[in-house]
Amino acid sequence: MRPMRSMFCQSRRSVPQLNVASMPDLIFTVLFFFMIVTHMRSDEVKVRLQVPQGNEVQKLANKQAVVNLYIGRQGEAWRVQLNNEIVQPADIPARIEDIRGGLSQENQQRLTVSLRVDKKAPMGLVSEVKHQLQQAYALKINYSATEIKNKYCYGKN
Amino acid sequence: MFRKRYRQQIPELNTTSTADISFMLLIFFLVTSSMDTEKGLMRQMAPPPLEHETPKDINRENVMQVKLDAQNQLTCDGKRVTLAQLTAEVRALAFVNRAGHVVQIEADPKTTYEAYFGMQDAIVEAYHALREEYAQKHYGHAYEVCTAEERSLMNDYYPQRISEAPIAQEGGDQ
Repeated sequence: MRPMRSMFCQSRRSVPQLNVASMPDLIFTVLFFFMIVTHMRSDEVKVRLQVPQGNEVQKLANKQAVVNLYIGRQGEAWRVQLNNEIVQPADIPARIEDIRGGLSQENQQRLTVSLRVDKKAPMGLVSEVKHQLQQAYALKINYSATEIKNKYCYGKN
Repeated sequence: MFRKRYRQQIPELNTTSTADISFMLLIFFLVTSSMDTEKGLMRQMAPPPLEHETPKDINRENVMQVKLDAQNQLTCDGKRVTLAQLTAEVRALAFVNRAGHVVQIEADPKTTYEAYFGMQDAIVEAYHALREEYAQKHYGHAYEVCTAEERSLMNDYYPQRISEAPIAQEGGDQ
């Protein structure tokens, strides 16, 4: 048994200082991780929309050759937004042509239009937009959707 | 020798705030970026029809007409179906007549996009199921792990023949 004094009187021993020299490095590592795995939201979505859910969705590859097209509500009216601005359906071919001009040869071939359309949008408008895309020869389209998680319990018979 | 040379100690750089600075950067990136990967249903549209192109003749029996009316009611060759039934029907048709069948889609302008998307999803699901079955049978593993070559072979074996163009009905063609 140690004597009483040394058992309780520990105040003289100071806590060693924590070495935080490597903390910036750690945080930088996390930072770089986030910089690599994420992508910046480039356009501001001006319409309100909620995409539908689906079973057979795939990941969209090659972000450079993707044109974002949003169809959603602005107030009460349905509006079409191409990349960053509200457009009329009739203007779409000209816009696509502009965008295509700024892409490399390889990406021109791969040009994909990501259609982010609200669940409640009428098909009349969507068909019109699709027709315009067809006229612009932007034939690869991607109906954006969220994945139903428990896909093996749904819709199978 | 006027200059006095004394040993000067280089003061240590105070790096305590580097952690704070990098934390701020980290939080900035966390806020401005989005983690979600974009997902969706890939489709390839037909090129716009040319002026002088003559429409192809298809046998009426090989065509499945899938329609959506203004009340989002799904009909397949005139009878009402659910999405699961539609998947089964398309699957049966594509299995019997792989290269010759056509699934013709028609949607009323008042249909909601959700219903249309559900229909597309159900049709694609049918093809996926067929290709999956083929992959299991011939390659012994799932479609997802097939090589690009095997996939393109399967995609040619079970082509997705979906048409959104209205089909002109002619008298003698019934």
